[in-house]
Amino acid sequence: MTGHTIHTNEAVHTYGPFPPASRPSEPVGIGLRYPHYQEVLETDLELGWLEVHPENYFGGGAHRHFLSEARKTYNLSLHAVGLSLGSDEPVSEEHLRGFKELIDIYQPFNVSDHASWSASGNAHLNDLLPMPYTQESLDKLARNIETTQEYFGRTILVENPSTYLAFEGNEMHEDEFMNRIAEMTGCGILLDLNNIYVQAHNHGYDAWSYIDTIDARHVGEMHLAGHIEQDADDGVILIDTHSRPVKGDVWDLYAHAVRKFGVAPTLIEWDTDIPDLKTLVGEADKARAIIADIGAESLAHAAE
Amino acid sequence: MQLNEFQERFKALMLDNPKALDTPPEELAQFCKADSITLPTRLKVYRNNIVGSLTDMLKTTFPTIEALVGEQFFEMLARSFILQHPPSKGVLSHYGDGMDAFIKEFELAKSLPYLPDIATYEIAKNHSYHAADDLPLTTEQLAAVPIEDLDTLHIGLRAYVFLVASKYPLTAIEEFCKNKKTDETLNLDQGGESLMVFRSSLDTKTDILAKDEFEFLRQLSEGASLGEATETVLSHHPDFNIQAVLQKHLALETFRAL
Repeated sequence: MTGHTIHTNEAVHTYGPFPPASRPSEPVGIGLRYPHYQEVLETDLELGWLEVHPENYFGGGAHRHFLSEARKTYNLSLHAVGLSLGSDEPVSEEHLRGFKELIDIYQPFNVSDHASWSASGNAHLNDLLPMPYTQESLDKLARNIETTQEYFGRTILVENPSTYLAFEGNEMHEDEFMNRIAEMTGCGILLDLNNIYVQAHNHGYDAWSYIDTIDARHVGEMHLAGHIEQDADDGVILIDTHSRPVKGDVWDLYAHAVRKFGVAPTLIEWDTDIPDLKTLVGEADKARAIIADIGAESLAHAAE
Repeated sequence: MQLNEFQERFKALMLDNPKALDTPPEELAQFCKADSITLPTRLKVYRNNIVGSLTDMLKTTFPTIEALVGEQFFEMLARSFILQHPPSKGVLSHYGDGMDAFIKEFELAKSLPYLPDIATYEIAKNHSYHAADDLPLTTEQLAAVPIEDLDTLHIGLRAYVFLVASKYPLTAIEEFCKNKKTDETLNLDQGGESLMVFRSSLDTKTDILAKDEFEFLRQLSEGASLGEATETVLSHHPDFNIQAVLQKHLALETFRAL
């Protein structure tokens, strides 16, 4: 394979300009994924917004065409998986640069990544790996979030991860860890209800009390996804696969969260065994119905 | 245990051989909690996520390799590649680079000598798909260059253009795998191919080029001027028709704007 020894990056097609970011008036969105690119552009969908992983659009390429077309109709949330905010080492400047370019072009209303790590030394392990919940972890995570927020010139949201492993040395529980990181850095919390449910089961914690601990002022977005149950040893471990419809218990947890925090932009995530668009939008409809029910409920309370 | 040490140890275990997870090192085991779900089970979830997601990515990039060797063999090949060459950064669009060299050294794949070239071809398609957008050289732009400057003019190729030459019929193998019928065989001795991978209508495409045409584009991509490239090609292919080749590739928008 040869070519591009003298390649320069000038004369790039410019996409946009797109309308400035605004908080979506319709609260529920879906992930924009490759199998649905064409259909999303051709269908009139009752959706408030779309989410993508910025890493799939770094540097240009054919994907960007579809994102640009979709952005003309929908608000956008850029949800990263590659910053590795929880690494002992600093955030990669190359990654920040690629990400910032997309923020400048696409004007997302939310920008986020996770309270987890992937990179250690020369390897990036492509999973959201668990951090011990200690003061040292808080300090390192806060340093990386602050670097990111300074580079972007805006606050970001940080998502609670699904975890399968907990640590003897934990100095606090995850809910408190999330509150404290938000207080230390000014970042918001991206509350993933499915992740809360999964980690609560895997570590014997109460998912509802997790919600009750989270400070409402920090919640900037919510995520919903499907998980699987896997028989293991003398029990069952839940795995966050994003490959199934949202489970009933997780919908209940979502309703609890909406009652406590109010309506936040809510994403249906589905990343493997991706269904047809209709099924995915059907999940978004369920979230909208829950929001509508709770709205009616609170009005009824107000009238009492 | 400090965060740094934990992450180093966890990473090393994830990239160790699969059996290592059954007996995690003592320091790590003491640092982690386990109950009715044992530590190896918990660690294996992460291991499966890492290897599984990267394997899926490699399957997307190397569909022909997978069709040729079968799913099971491909997954073994992918696992070896992943453990020896984990991604080095958080953007994975080029993950799988180096698979051609890796296959060349992979003992179990040596009976299929065309595999490395197929990998090179599929890497080129992947790069082409993700290449930055740039602007094409137009006929007007070229016409505006004074005739006396044409000889020394440097013309580059679009970022999404990649040239791949092989002594094996790569696109014939690819087509054969796509329309796999068990009662057909493919003649591997039908001769090699000189290929140009590029993007058209937002997807990658492949054209089989004539040898002189391929050599001309290769010369240009390596920095030769128009005059130098033409001279080199003519010395091996006296029938080379530069006019026709320039016209064809201006129409295909193969060249990058000046």
